[in-house]
Amino acid sequence: MTSKKNKITLKNIKRQKVLIIWSLISIVYGFIFYYLPLGGWITAFQNYKPKDGILHSQFIGLDKFKFLFMDATFIKDIRNTFAMGIINLVVTTVMAIVFAILLNEVQNVICKKSVQTISYLPHFLSWIIVTGILHDMLSGTGVVNDILVSLHIVDQPLNFFAYPKMFWPIVAFANVWKETGWNAIIYLATITSIDPSLYEAASIDGAGRWAKIKHITLPGIKPTIMILLLMNVGNVLNAGFEVQYLLGNGLVKSVSETIDIYVLKWGISQNDFALGTAAGIFRSVVAILLIVSANYAAKRAGEERLF
Amino acid sequence: MRKKKLAAALLAAGMVVASVTGCGGGDTATTGGDESAKGSTDEKKDDAGSGEVTEFTMFISSPGSEINSDNEIANIIAEKTGVKVKETFLTGQTAEEAVGTYIASGDYTDYINGGDGMVKLYEAGALIPWDDYIDKYPNIKEFLTPEEWDMFRQDDGKIYWLNPFDNSYGEDKTTTHGGEAFWIQTRVLKWAGYPEIKTLDQYFDLLEKYNEANPTMEDGATTNIPYTILCEDWRYFCLENAPQFLDGYPNDGSCMVDKETLTVMDYNTSDTAKKYFNKLNEEYKKGIVDPESFTQTYDEYIAKLSTGRVLGMVDQWWDFAYTINDILKTQGLDKQGCNYVPMGLVIDEGMENRWYTAGDTVNVSSGIGITVNCKDPDKAFKFIDDCLSQEIHDLRFWGVEGVDYLVDDEGLFYRTEDIRMQVADTDYKASHMCSYSNFPQYGGTSRDGKNAMTPAQQPTEFFDSLTDDLKECFEAYGCQTYIDFLNSDSERPGEWFPMWSFSNSFSTATPGGTAWTKIGEIKHEYLPKVCMADDFESAWTEYMGVYDSCNPQDYLGELQEELNRRVGK
Repeated sequence: MTSKKNKITLKNIKRQKVLIIWSLISIVYGFIFYYLPLGGWITAFQNYKPKDGILHSQFIGLDKFKFLFMDATFIKDIRNTFAMGIINLVVTTVMAIVFAILLNEVQNVICKKSVQTISYLPHFLSWIIVTGILHDMLSGTGVVNDILVSLHIVDQPLNFFAYPKMFWPIVAFANVWKETGWNAIIYLATITSIDPSLYEAASIDGAGRWAKIKHITLPGIKPTIMILLLMNVGNVLNAGFEVQYLLGNGLVKSVSETIDIYVLKWGISQNDFALGTAAGIFRSVVAILLIVSANYAAKRAGEERLF
Repeated sequence: MRKKKLAAALLAAGMVVASVTGCGGGDTATTGGDESAKGSTDEKKDDAGSGEVTEFTMFISSPGSEINSDNEIANIIAEKTGVKVKETFLTGQTAEEAVGTYIASGDYTDYINGGDGMVKLYEAGALIPWDDYIDKYPNIKEFLTPEEWDMFRQDDGKIYWLNPFDNSYGEDKTTTHGGEAFWIQTRVLKWAGYPEIKTLDQYFDLLEKYNEANPTMEDGATTNIPYTILCEDWRYFCLENAPQFLDGYPNDGSCMVDKETLTVMDYNTSDTAKKYFNKLNEEYKKGIVDPESFTQTYDEYIAKLSTGRVLGMVDQWWDFAYTINDILKTQGLDKQGCNYVPMGLVIDEGMENRWYTAGDTVNVSSGIGITVNCKDPDKAFKFIDDCLSQEIHDLRFWGVEGVDYLVDDEGLFYRTEDIRMQVADTDYKASHMCSYSNFPQYGGTSRDGKNAMTPAQQPTEFFDSLTDDLKECFEAYGCQTYIDFLNSDSERPGEWFPMWSFSNSFSTATPGGTAWTKIGEIKHEYLPKVCMADDFESAWTEYMGVYDSCNPQDYLGELQEELNRRVGK
């Protein structure tokens, strides 16, 4: 940010003593909770046994990684993770923006506030509850099937969870339902910070609602959109664990399993901590690559960026 | 103002003292994880009298109902033994995940029943050896024969756990079939005039005919579900392992063993397996198999059975009966013939059925152990010993004399219909009954030589407790017990039996274990697909192709090696 480099002098340090102490706390915190555990990555290269610990387990090199990439299930899981991650990212972002803009156009304050409050409440529900609700709604005797049958769209209740094709849309829907209201808050905040005189000027020039959204609101929130997108690109591989774990079943296994579930199955259930760690490392490395390249792309396009 | 402050300080101090002395009463447990509990264990204070109760924690890697913290029988046992156990059951996870999580965190409970994960816990150094304690406690020592104890020895020559189940004291009095079968409601059999059902085809034929004639239950509104399949996670045995029984083999779990040649055979790829899944496929298309079978969770399955709608299914007794029978009873559905009896089906008529295996099976791959986190192992072992004494054993399984059972002039225990109704009640079970169900326990005959160790095995009590429909059904087939429906007179398969005690502790450390894990994953996905496929033949071919790619020969090879070892070849 600053173009001129300030020299670090004792006087400076003294003056910023309090600030430095406070930031040191977060550095220490970050080191302990984010960087120290990375030492555990070493287990990925070992035949790790909890009894022997990290220090006495036998080193086996890249064997675990080889096993990973020979395993067709893991390859499928990578695909599923990416697919669901990208679908979720795109759908939730678009929905949040659309929702924020629509909500911003609502004139009645009471209506606006109550819609906003109600819409972000699902964010605070845990996935176990959300999936429970989904499971009930979509079950053979659930609301959705009742409606479909009574409207004669289908003759027999559909068993939604039995079709692999339906799984990704269901997950995306669940994410949208849960997160749209919450994600829209930040866009709404940005919209309110847009200078009202721009809108006035546009009205005088004869711009309608649509034109104002297109030429003022959207460009106004573009930097926010970019930053949020960038930050979330790294999260693509965090496509989720709970939703897929809780909604999945044998039939949709090939599309529902994510890397996280793979780690749980092999790492925790089969006690192959090394393999689980290897899969985790792979995920983290890819996530870092994604963020760096997205940031680079943004830089090239002259957009807002993270670093 | 000052007074208020003083009062507050006093209150606070009082609370601290209370909590310290409360825990000082010998709380070695890690419950709540509060520091005061840990800090105060050393300064044990003598509470009033001798009522010093140690609370141990226990994790049990199978689902169950927790009892209330002020459970009456738990308190009586605590008074007598000085120990209370806080049980935590498996919820929302698989047993492997739960055990793996414990290993990863190292935060073990005092007692642990890790199911098939006991070897993993041992390998992680989580368990303490029993060897020094076994001789000290006669009831523990008596529980197994020296040969049986030796079977539990691990590669370092020590014993780390004990399987609490399937052990008879004195004469065997087994009345229920604890294992797997094709179950069917008595109302279906009654309607058809109690026909002989021997084969898979006859079974489904009967379900179809009954369902056509009686599409709903007695209320006329609830539609019947002729056949449902539970296949959530590890419980998919209800779908996958019937072929071994249909072929006339006992429950070796992971394979079939040819008695003559002593070779291991794969039941996944047998002709019978194909016929069985083809049958399920046909019945699925006819609408006889519940369309939600392959996506339902265990809770949904149990909820379905509780309504009495389900006419038949494959399952193991312990997986449904302990929950369902009481619920059916409290709803009065047992009077509508909604109780299940087992059918020992085979694929072709004239084959021997081996659904039931007589005698106790020592399952060395799972059991109860005491972890390194236990602060007072001596007391923990003593409690296991106490649990096996006749007095505590009767409390655990029969309850309180005069309240939960009565004694007649000859000293035989019995229950009245009112008591039976009461002990079937969920609330009563939580507030009063306490069986410490995962501690070592006996079946068979009590030490008094008259009574059974548990009410379910008391011959008079067993038959009296059956509803009229069940009694009628039992009589129609000439059966005294559930086992008589199957093959009560069959001999033990052989000294290798059961192979599952080996395959249950398979781990991915060996190629066979890896293949086994992969096959499990594949079956979870493809078996439902095969059952639902429009074109069964092509779906089956595809499944077999994927199956072969998992290297099944690796796991069969390891099973064969173990079989050779067991029969001393």
